[in-house]
Amino acid sequence: MNNRDRLRELFIDVFLLDPAEFRFDLTRGEVDSWDSLGTVSLALGIEEVFGHHLTPAEATSLAGVADVIEVLSRRGVEFGDA
Amino acid sequence: METPEPVVWSFDRLLAENLPAAVVWSTPSVRGRSESTLSYRHRTPLAGLDEDTRTLIVIGGGTLLDAAKIFRHEHAAKVTLIAIPSIWGSGAESSPIALATGPDGRKVIRMGPEYLPDVRVFWLELADSVPLRLARHACGDAWSHALEGFLSPLASEDLLSRGASVLSSMLDLPIGPDPRWFEASADACRLQSQSSVGLVHGIAHTLEGPLRAAQPEFGWGHAALCSTFLWPVLSLALGASERAGHRLRDAGIDPGRISEIARALFDPEAYDRALPFLVTHWRSVLRDPCTRTNGVVVRPSTLDYFQRRELRD
Repeated sequence: MNNRDRLRELFIDVFLLDPAEFRFDLTRGEVDSWDSLGTVSLALGIEEVFGHHLTPAEATSLAGVADVIEVLSRRGVEFGDA
Repeated sequence: METPEPVVWSFDRLLAENLPAAVVWSTPSVRGRSESTLSYRHRTPLAGLDEDTRTLIVIGGGTLLDAAKIFRHEHAAKVTLIAIPSIWGSGAESSPIALATGPDGRKVIRMGPEYLPDVRVFWLELADSVPLRLARHACGDAWSHALEGFLSPLASEDLLSRGASVLSSMLDLPIGPDPRWFEASADACRLQSQSSVGLVHGIAHTLEGPLRAAQPEFGWGHAALCSTFLWPVLSLALGASERAGHRLRDAGIDPGRISEIARALFDPEAYDRALPFLVTHWRSVLRDPCTRTNGVVVRPSTLDYFQRRELRD
């Protein structure tokens, strides 16, 4: 499983998405369960799956899947080409 | 974040006070003792208050204390509320949280300063009258508050420091009746109210109604569910990531010792009774706000973990 697959699986699990609902350009406003508690779960999941701790400011600034990829890429996590 | 707290009175202070127009609501198990000790009018709990009532003294478990907090807020906002727990575990006497039962039987969390008792009193002698089974469940409830609050992703550095002290003091207590549990339980409740609870509470809030309805003979309640699921949930946290173990060790707490206590609280028969309901209601558990602030991410596939044979033998 590559990092894109790991991220996809994390989003589906944390936000209880139907797999067909996931897209790499999915934004926060499109996900009902991406509220403040969802942000907490997502940050925890990123730490568990990718080993990187997000600060509260980083976690709350995430506005979509693309932002997660950008934050983790800056820390050396490789996602390859879309 | 500062959490408001009630004024603390000793039981001797309560006895010495001459409270005007006070009424006592006490749970049936302590009613006789209450009537012979407190010289105020005793009334049937939740059946209303005399018009002149200015102080309401409530003696009971978390369910009665929470119901009294809600009653006071909705029907008697000017009445002073004095909360005396008849058993430890819930921390309801010290917290601004009240659990109400929704129309579908699920627990609904209400939170705000309006649900905080004005005064809390510990009547330590009541610990003697707590039956062993209930005492074990109450210990499981208190441990669940302390551990879930400590392992919460919302716990601050300051809270972790205080949490270590709470956990250390709880390690000195027996699993059973002991008056020291009243204070320890209040500390544990304060801990979780400043961070969050987690999956144990998500399960307890979801399953309590269905289990009470389906197995009335078993005496299911919040504390029984916390006791039943604390060890499986803690094992999950310690196995799923290194975070929980690190956090405990960094605080000078041996995770193995904590696991032993949680294992000692575990009742395989209760777990077997509850497991089919966990399977049926798993999606609701996943959506519960408590579950979403658990110390490790809870996924749909986490249900497989709870069905493992080693948890049931």
